[in-house]
Amino acid sequence: MQVERPDPQARIPRLTPSRRRTGAARFTPSTRVDFVVVGSGAAGGIMAKELATRGFSVVVLEQGPRMEVPNFQHDEFRHWFQNEYLNKADTQPQNFKAGPSAAPSQQMAVQYHRLVGGGSLCFTANYRRLRPLDFNERSRIGPISGTAFADWPITYEELEPYYTKAEWELGVSGEPGPFDPPRSRPYPMPPLPVKSSGVLFERGARAIGLHPQPAQMAINSQPYHGRPACQQCGYCWGFPCEHRAKGSSFTVLPMAEATGRCEIRTGCLAARIDLDTRGRATGVVYFDAQKREQLQRARAVVLCCNGAETPHLLLNSHSSRFPAGLANSSGMVGRHLMFNSNALASAQFEHELDDWKGAMVTRIALDFYDHDPSRGFYGGGALDGRFFGFPLFYAFGGLPPGSPRWGAEYKRALRDGFRRQMDVLCEGTSLPLETNRIELDPELKDAWGLPAMRVTYKDHPDDMALMRFLLGKSTQLLEAAGARRAWALPVAEQSNGLHLLGTCRMGNDPATSVVDRFHRTHDVRNLFLCDGSSMVTSGRGQPTATIQALAYRAGEAIARFARRGEV
Amino acid sequence: MIDRRAFLSAAGAGLGAAFLAADPVQLNASFNRAAEAALALRRGSPPPPLEVLTPEQAADVEAIAAQIIPTDDLPGAREARVVNFVDHGLATWAQGQRRATIDGLAQFNAALSGRYQGVQRFTQLSPAQQLEFLQANEQSPFFQQMIFVTLAGTFSYPDWGGNYGKAGWRILGFQDSYAWQPPFGWYDARANGGPN
Repeated sequence: MQVERPDPQARIPRLTPSRRRTGAARFTPSTRVDFVVVGSGAAGGIMAKELATRGFSVVVLEQGPRMEVPNFQHDEFRHWFQNEYLNKADTQPQNFKAGPSAAPSQQMAVQYHRLVGGGSLCFTANYRRLRPLDFNERSRIGPISGTAFADWPITYEELEPYYTKAEWELGVSGEPGPFDPPRSRPYPMPPLPVKSSGVLFERGARAIGLHPQPAQMAINSQPYHGRPACQQCGYCWGFPCEHRAKGSSFTVLPMAEATGRCEIRTGCLAARIDLDTRGRATGVVYFDAQKREQLQRARAVVLCCNGAETPHLLLNSHSSRFPAGLANSSGMVGRHLMFNSNALASAQFEHELDDWKGAMVTRIALDFYDHDPSRGFYGGGALDGRFFGFPLFYAFGGLPPGSPRWGAEYKRALRDGFRRQMDVLCEGTSLPLETNRIELDPELKDAWGLPAMRVTYKDHPDDMALMRFLLGKSTQLLEAAGARRAWALPVAEQSNGLHLLGTCRMGNDPATSVVDRFHRTHDVRNLFLCDGSSMVTSGRGQPTATIQALAYRAGEAIARFARRGEV
Repeated sequence: MIDRRAFLSAAGAGLGAAFLAADPVQLNASFNRAAEAALALRRGSPPPPLEVLTPEQAADVEAIAAQIIPTDDLPGAREARVVNFVDHGLATWAQGQRRATIDGLAQFNAALSGRYQGVQRFTQLSPAQQLEFLQANEQSPFFQQMIFVTLAGTFSYPDWGGNYGKAGWRILGFQDSYAWQPPFGWYDARANGGPN
């Protein structure tokens, strides 16, 4: 398992512009660069860095703005209620169908961060590898009728070097746990300090026979790569880190720019991919910040938009050659959308946890990760101890069911509960279904006049059964930890996803998959897709490490193809 | 309304440089100074003038909000200046809801006379009558909207015009800081070297 190192002697491709200054490059759209990468998030940031540091010229098109550290505020209302950095209903509306035969209604069913760094800048920073079983579970346990459950075309062993590379380049805190997959290097940093939610989680988990362990987090527990250690401010989930202690695409993109070969062009919304007469991509047509249509020409195109916008862009790129959408000869583009099943149990304790401080998650339990036929349904998942302790979230939805929503008693409940409460988040598999999908809406348009996306999603009954099972365990755990009151909200079908997975799955068979094992589309030789859409199965709830490992692996492979003239 | 970005740059000129130096101590000092400067500017400052609501409308909104989060030994929605949050919102980010809000309040007030003869405004009711009326009309869309704006105005970042003096955060026992150190709470004190 050897990671290919950037070769300083590598021949610089012929079409690479000659500028070699340190600092971001500037290209005109008519300049034919080596690569256009669409999206600067978890995958796109890594992709741009891998390609630029290997000597290629890269233009990154990012629809959002570039925010810098002084803009990073603890402003919950701005982030989560005004959707400051999220896709918004007024400019990018969506229709949602709660199942194939349900009527569409206009609501935001998929959400993602649209700014330089994307979701990797704003995530909780759980950084958990898949395990070998995630890649070949279909072979191991057999087919599941009515689903598109399948093996990946790659193994854990093939991806392992790139998990390691991601962990060491981005910075991950953790220590070996009882359920860890094999790893070629230890964690770069020791775990973050435990919080009260972690102590109680560990106590309760042990009491019910589980094996808790420190959470693996892409957050510095000590200074790392010139960035400071976590200052424990508590604002990870949905917020960029003002201390830059979170490892993200945002922290590696400057490495791409420092080559002098990478331009990150913000405020640019990709509209379609144009083809030449031979059926090869010529570049990406986009609307710039002034909403003028531009074509950025490139030798090859890499889409790293996310599991909703990558298929959306392909479907909007239909042509006479690809009437059902670009690279969609299989009809699989947009299908198999997976959100990861999830559910929440909560509890209050006698003493004050003050768990709104500090990095969100410090202890997890992976005992239920593997599929267990004796449970009577497919699936596996994880539990983590945390607290959604943001003031607005708590005031609107944090109190136990049946609590008053206003008045003196409501205020008393807030005063009593906020400092004494924690949650256990259950996160797990979603089965891939052909009917859970991203399509073009036949009528709805976005602010650029492009067909908006229509999202159809209905959890598989096994996903629901898994969540009921994990919620039961979580409630037991919290009671065993000594909670004075524990509760769980009923498991409900999801109508809103932040994990956007599976919609352009990789595979060896062009009839049933969209990209090959190196993320090249089966249909277009110089078009690559790499992000959550590539995932064949959903994993158990924390996809960012896998998305970034895939991007490191794909970036290396795509550079190799380009060097050999194979794009 | 003071823009946080403006006072951040005023209080911590060269803030970006502090980050590049990657020195958390220095960084926190500059953030804390900025926060203190902001608080000092606000402490004891009179409420800003109304931008959209009339004084009568503002009084009604404030009275409703004060029933939703009453004042006891800790401040409530009134002290958090929810009414200024609402008023400033209707002037800016919630402009689109201005007409519906003002009409909704008018209809809400109009319904009072059916129950309390001669009463035209919510503020004319006694506190006990106010509570009784709200309980009876708990599911009305206007009151549900008032719950939303009262909670948003009480617990949001103070820049939005409410949560004056961090009143809402004091109710929760929440403190906004750019840095904490373990031990964080009672249960992790021993694990983090504390006395328990």
